[in-house]
Amino acid sequence: MLRLTTVLAALVAAGMAFSIRPASAEDGVIRIGMTLRMIVENGLKYGQLTAGELNALNDSGGIDGHKVQVILLDDECTAQKGVANTNRFIEQDKVHLIIGSICSSVTIPMVDITARAQVPQISPTSTARPVTEKGSAWIFRTAASERYFAAVHAKYLAENAGKKVAYMYTTDAAGTSFVTQYQQFMKDTYQVDPVFSAQQQETDLDFRSNLLKIKSLNPDVLALAGQSDAIARIVTQALEVGIPRKVARVSASAASNAPVPETAGDAVIGLIFSAAFVCTDPRPEAQAFVKLVQDKYQVRCPDHDWAQSYETAQIVKEALKRAGPKLKLTDASLAEDRTTIRDAFASIQDYQGVVPGKISFCADPTPQCRDGNRTPILVQYTKGGKDYEMKQLATVTFDPDFGLKK
Amino acid sequence: MTALLEISGLTKRFGGLTALSNLSMKVEEGEIRGVIGPNGSGKSTLFNLVTGVYPADPGSLVRFRGENITNREPHEIAQRGLARTFQLLRIFVEMTVIENLLVGCHRQISYGIGGALFGAANVRAAERRVRAEMLELLDFVGLADFAEMPAGELSIGQRRLLALGRAMAMKPTLLMLDEPAAGLSPVNVDKLLETVLALKARYGLTVVLVEHVMKLVMASCDVITVLDHGEKIAEGSPDAIRDDHGVIEAYLGKEMQDAEVRAFLRSA
Amino acid sequence: MTTGQRAAAPVRGAVSLLRAAAAHPAYGWGTAFVALLGLPLLVSNGYQQYLLDLIMINIVLAVGLNIVKGFAGQVNVGHLAIAAIGAYTSAVLSTKFGMTFWFALPLATLSAGIVGAVVGVPSFRLEGAYLALATLGLAESVRIFIAVTDYLGASIGYGDIPPPIIAGWRLDSYAAYYYVVMPIAVAGTYIAFSILHSDIGRAFKAIREDTLAAAAAGIAVRKYKLLAFLISALYAGCAGSLAAHMAPGFIHPDDFNLTRMITVILMVVAGGLGHVWGGVIGAALITLIAEWTRSYYQYEFIIFGLIVVLTMMYMPRGIGGYIDRRLATRRFVAQRRGKTAANMT
Repeated sequence: MLRLTTVLAALVAAGMAFSIRPASAEDGVIRIGMTLRMIVENGLKYGQLTAGELNALNDSGGIDGHKVQVILLDDECTAQKGVANTNRFIEQDKVHLIIGSICSSVTIPMVDITARAQVPQISPTSTARPVTEKGSAWIFRTAASERYFAAVHAKYLAENAGKKVAYMYTTDAAGTSFVTQYQQFMKDTYQVDPVFSAQQQETDLDFRSNLLKIKSLNPDVLALAGQSDAIARIVTQALEVGIPRKVARVSASAASNAPVPETAGDAVIGLIFSAAFVCTDPRPEAQAFVKLVQDKYQVRCPDHDWAQSYETAQIVKEALKRAGPKLKLTDASLAEDRTTIRDAFASIQDYQGVVPGKISFCADPTPQCRDGNRTPILVQYTKGGKDYEMKQLATVTFDPDFGLKK
Repeated sequence: MTALLEISGLTKRFGGLTALSNLSMKVEEGEIRGVIGPNGSGKSTLFNLVTGVYPADPGSLVRFRGENITNREPHEIAQRGLARTFQLLRIFVEMTVIENLLVGCHRQISYGIGGALFGAANVRAAERRVRAEMLELLDFVGLADFAEMPAGELSIGQRRLLALGRAMAMKPTLLMLDEPAAGLSPVNVDKLLETVLALKARYGLTVVLVEHVMKLVMASCDVITVLDHGEKIAEGSPDAIRDDHGVIEAYLGKEMQDAEVRAFLRSA
Repeated sequence: MTTGQRAAAPVRGAVSLLRAAAAHPAYGWGTAFVALLGLPLLVSNGYQQYLLDLIMINIVLAVGLNIVKGFAGQVNVGHLAIAAIGAYTSAVLSTKFGMTFWFALPLATLSAGIVGAVVGVPSFRLEGAYLALATLGLAESVRIFIAVTDYLGASIGYGDIPPPIIAGWRLDSYAAYYYVVMPIAVAGTYIAFSILHSDIGRAFKAIREDTLAAAAAGIAVRKYKLLAFLISALYAGCAGSLAAHMAPGFIHPDDFNLTRMITVILMVVAGGLGHVWGGVIGAALITLIAEWTRSYYQYEFIIFGLIVVLTMMYMPRGIGGYIDRRLATRRFVAQRRGKTAANMT
C-alpha cells in the first residue's frame, strides 16, 4: 500500500511538473488571445483572417514600436474548452486582450471570467443577448445583437407582408433564439401571437408534415431557422409542399452561409434574412474586402461572419493604436495595460468599416454601449445555386434605446 | 423422512422439442446419485431446471430439503445449499484462485457497503477467518500452492479442481456435478473419484452427478437414474442398471450382441 | 550515553513511530491526503490551479465509471448523461430554489443516483453492444431533452451558478475550489477502494466474468448490477454538480455529449479498466494530455486516436492493469517463496 502510494504520488508529481511551465511573458509585447471554433473549415479561415490582420501589424513596426503576439486556440464551440482557453490566456499567457468567441454559448461564460479577471474581451460574431446584458464592463462586440436582427426583419415584414407568422425551426441555439426574439418582438410591438410554431431536431431531414400544416393556415410570413443545412431543407421543402411564394420567407443570419443558397437552389429565391453584411454592398470599402477574400481564400461571396471577423480585427487595431502610447507592457503593469486597452475600445465612436453599420462603443456596462453594431441590414436572395445572388433590401438605423427595456 | 431432493413431474419443452417429460426422482440424503443417458436425453436440462437456470414448465415440482424451489432464482437456490459445477467450468479466470473460492463464500460474509467502508475490526476478522477456511479447502483439493495465482494460468485439471472447490466453498448440502470427468485420463478419473468421496465423507455431502464416463459412475454411485429422450427409463443400483436391457438398447441400439454389450459394460 | 546517542534516540523513536503508523491501513491515505493539500502551492498560476480542479472532478467521474464498467463489467455509455443530471439538478436547485452548494450537491448526487439505478435495469437482460446501445439511447435523450428545455437554458446554456460559500467567503477562485473538490476526490477514491476490496467488489468481478457462474455461486446478480449502476451514478452526479459550481458556473448540453463521453471512457481504459487506481491515473493522464495538445489543436484528435490504438496494442489493460499484473506475479512468487521457506524449516 505504501509502495503504491509512492508510485502514484511520483506519477502525479511528474505529470504536474511537466505541465508546469513558468509563464514566459516578455516585456514590451502586446499579447492577444483568440479563442474561436477552429476545426470547422470556415472557422479556420475566420481565425486565419483575423490573426493574419493582426500579425500584419508587426510588418509595419507594430503598435508604437511594440510587437503584437497573437495566440490562437480552438474551442470547438464548446463552453468547456472556451473557459479553459480563457483561463489559460488570462493566467498563463498573461494576455492584454481576448478575442472570442464565435458561438454565443462559449462567449457567455467567458464574459464572467473576463469580467472577474478584468481583461478586455471582444466577440466577433456572437449574437446572443446575454453577452452584453450581464453588465460586464469588459465585454465588447462587433457583432450585432440578435435583438436588433429580430427587430429589423420583424418590423419590415409586419409592415410589408403581414402579421400572421408561422414558425418552423430546430433545437440548436441559433434557431431557437431567432424564433424567441421574433415572437417576443411581435408580441411586444403588435400584440400578436404566432399562427403556428413547431420545433424539430437539428438533425431531422423531413419537415414536410409540419410545413403542410402551416400551408393550410395561410400565414403571411414563414419564419424558419436553424443551422444552415436545416434552413436549406426547410426552404426547399416549403416549396415542395406547395406553400405559395407570396408567403414571405424569413430566416436568421445563418441563412447567409453559402451552403444555404448552394443546396437549396432556386427554392431560396425570395428568402429574406437580416445580417450585418452582404457581399453585393456597393461601397468601395466593402468591395475591396470582398476582393481580398476572393483572392486570398477563394470564397466568391463572403458572408457576414467573414465581414465581422475582419471588422473585429480592424477595431482591435484602432483600439490598440489609441492605447499604444499609454501602454507600459511590463509584468507589473498588466492590470493597468488591460484597463487602458479597454478604455481605448470604449472611446471608439462611429467607426465605419467594411460592414454598413457604424460601430460605436461607450464606457457604461450596458448593451447600448457594448453592442457595437446596431445597424443590421435586410438581405434577400435573388438567385440560387452555385452562383447565388442577393440584394440589400433595407437598412434600419436605431436610436440608442430602440427596443431595449430596462 | 422426506428425501433431500424431490423432483416430480419435471417437464420442459423448447418450442416443438420436449427436452424433459414428466420426470420424477428422489435423492436421499447421503446418497451419491448418478444420472446417465445418451446425448440429448435431457441430463443437462435436468440440471439447469433444478438449479433455476431455465424456467420449468407448469406442473413441475422441485423440492429441496422440503422447500419448494421450483423456478426460483439461481442464486437463491445456491444460497439454500445446492451447489453445482458446469461442464465448461466457468471459473473466474481474472481473479486469483483463492478469490474464486471467496466468491462462493458470499453467503457467509456479506457485510454490505457500510462494513466495506468503515472496515471495522470485526469485518477484517471475518475476512481473515474465511480466508483461512478457504486455504484449508484449497489444501484439501490440492491447490493450496496456487492460492494467489490468477486462475487463468491453471492447467485444465487444476481448473476442474478449482471449480469443485468453488462449489464446495458454499458449504452445500447437495453438490451437483456436471460431467466432472469428461476427457480425463484413467489416472485422473481415479483421483477425481477419491477427491469426491473424501469431500463427501469430510463435509457430509449428498452428490448428484451427470456423467458419461461409466467407470466413475459405476464405482461411486449408490443409485443410478437413466434418461433417454427426456424420460426416465431405469433407476436402480449399478448392477441392476448394468444388466438392464432398456439401458443397453438406449445406449447402443438393438443390433449389438448381448455378449459384446455386457463385455463393454463390464470393462467400464 | 554519548551525546550522539542521546541525539539519535528521539530520531529513532520518531522512525519507529512512523513504522508503526505505516503499518496501519489508513496510513497511505493519510499521507496522500496531506501531500495533496499542498499541491496548489506548487503550481504557478490560476490556470494550473484550474487544471488541478479539473483533474479532481475527472477523477470522481472516472472512478465512478470504473466501478460500473471496469469492475462490474456493465457497459454504461450514459455515465456522462447522469453527470449532466447531477449538474443541472444542482444548478436549478441553487439558482431557482436558492439552495446553497452544500445542500445542492448532495441532493443532486442522490437524484443522479436514483436515475442511474433506473438506467441499470436494461442491464438485467442486455450485455455488451446491446447494453451500450440502450444506455446510449438514454444518454442522448437526456442531452436532447436539456437542449430543448428553456427552463434549463436549452442550447444557450445555463449560467450564473453560484460557487460554494463558506462563512461569507465565495469559493470562486480555482485555488479555493480545490479544497472543495480535492477532499471529495480523495474520499471517492477511498470509498471505491474499500468497496472493491470487499465482498461487494468480488461480487462485481464475478458478474463481470460470468453472470451464470456468479449466480450459481450464490450472488444475486440483479441486485449487484443495480448496485454497481447506483454507485457509479452517485459518482457521476457528484462530478456533474462539482463541474457546475466551478467558476464561471456555466453548463451546456454539449459539455456532456458523446465525444466527451468517449474521453471519459478513454480515461478509464488507459488508466486501467478494472484496476482500482485506473480511474485516478487515467483522469490525470488524459486531462494533462488534453492540456499539452491545447496549442496544437489540429493534432488533438490524432493524438487521442493514437493513444487509443497504442493502448489497445501494448497495454490493453491500461497502466493500472500493467501494475496489477506485476503485483499479482510478485504476490504469487512471494507466496511460493514463503512456502519453500516453510518447507525448509
